[in-house]
Amino acid sequence: MRKLVSAPALFIEAGAFLIVGLMLAFWYAPTDSSSMGFSQKIFYYHVPIAETALVAFGIAFVAAIAYLRTQDLKWDRLSYVSVRLGLLFSILVMLTGMIWGKAAWDTWWAWEPRLTTFLLVCFLYAAYWVLRSVVDEEQRRATYAAVFAIIAFIDVPITFFATRFLPEGLHPVVISVGGTGMEGSMFVSFFISMIGMTLLLVGLTRRDLAIENLKDRVTDLKTSLGG
Amino acid sequence: MNSPRSQAIERGAGGAPVRDWAQFKAILRKDLIRELRTRDMIVSMILFVLLAMVIFHYAFSVKEGVDLTYFTGGMLWVTFIFAMLLGLNRSFAQEKDEHCLDGLLLCPVDRVTIFLAKTVGNLVFLLIIQAVAVPVFTLFFIERSYLGDMLPFLVVLLLADAGICALGTLLATISMNTRSRDLLLPILFLPLIVPVLIAATGATTLIFAEGAGLGGLLARLLFLLGFDAVFLVAAWGTYDFAIGE
Repeated sequence: MRKLVSAPALFIEAGAFLIVGLMLAFWYAPTDSSSMGFSQKIFYYHVPIAETALVAFGIAFVAAIAYLRTQDLKWDRLSYVSVRLGLLFSILVMLTGMIWGKAAWDTWWAWEPRLTTFLLVCFLYAAYWVLRSVVDEEQRRATYAAVFAIIAFIDVPITFFATRFLPEGLHPVVISVGGTGMEGSMFVSFFISMIGMTLLLVGLTRRDLAIENLKDRVTDLKTSLGG
Repeated sequence: MNSPRSQAIERGAGGAPVRDWAQFKAILRKDLIRELRTRDMIVSMILFVLLAMVIFHYAFSVKEGVDLTYFTGGMLWVTFIFAMLLGLNRSFAQEKDEHCLDGLLLCPVDRVTIFLAKTVGNLVFLLIIQAVAVPVFTLFFIERSYLGDMLPFLVVLLLADAGICALGTLLATISMNTRSRDLLLPILFLPLIVPVLIAATGATTLIFAEGAGLGGLLARLLFLLGFDAVFLVAAWGTYDFAIGE
């Protein structure tokens, strides 16, 4: 029960950080002086979401290895929950990225390396879901899912690296924004949003884990009742 | 207790490489002989690849005088990757249907040896198909002679094939053990193989369109080599789990 109680507290903290981050982004951080202008404000949400998505997939990767080593289903649950949240955050990355693209480059979709990599990430982890749904036996499902989570996580940076071989995109401007040229006030706003988003991930992970545990208990109880 | 069989059973993880090598050869030979006797996989794959070229011709004939040279690398690798999907499904379906794999798993064979033998077997099939398909493809689509760039072309072919086969074998092993079997493989395989597709397509197109030596392709070749190495190691570590008990 303790886990169920702690998740809302985390949500409140995450919400506070995210709102403060948003306020700082608009009132404290200066408007970007380079070509991005006002649309650069979405950076304070877009990038933390992207990094949180990668953190979630990283957790799924580590939990997958832990599962293969221990064969303990709690690691499988953590891996599964993390992939699900990572996928959710990835879709948000795509959406915020598209909004940014529309404002900055006047197009909803550009085959920009990062955006393209995230699209592929969405497909990869959607495949993870499909894989889980077509294996009935619990232990086997956990094992295959773990193997795929490991392979998928290794593949993501390789894919991003491979996009460098593609011809130059039309929009090199994005790379300068992702660089380190951030002013102090920008960095503070960004950092607070980052903390908020990470807390949100932790809160969601805890809540989802609690739900999965409850589901398992219900299944166990049903089985013990002979149903 | 000194018979080869009992030695094999008693052998731990760090056992004799000679035995692994013999087992590797035995599994590979079994796969090759089975295919040479039935020929159902190779023949369909070759027909598929040739048909795909004809289909590409129709699909891309939109305007007179359009130069397809810069699409040739992509056409070639898309064809090979799809052909490999067909082949991978086939090769494991046979194992599964006749319960051959269960027999194989009952033998005291290291799982990694099974993986390597299966990967090399698939690689051999893919190379046979390419030996037929590449000359025909050249005749159909390539106007420039690239005989001088044969060495880099073959290196690209081998490196990309190795990656496709290693990853494909691992994923086919997983997908054949699931309910949806051959339906699942493309969904798992295609997003993961994109890096190979990007590097191989770029390198092949360069060779076909402009000509490029080993030096000009070095970055892509090293990338492909790195991909092969990473996924061979990853498959090495996980194949035990993928193939099941």
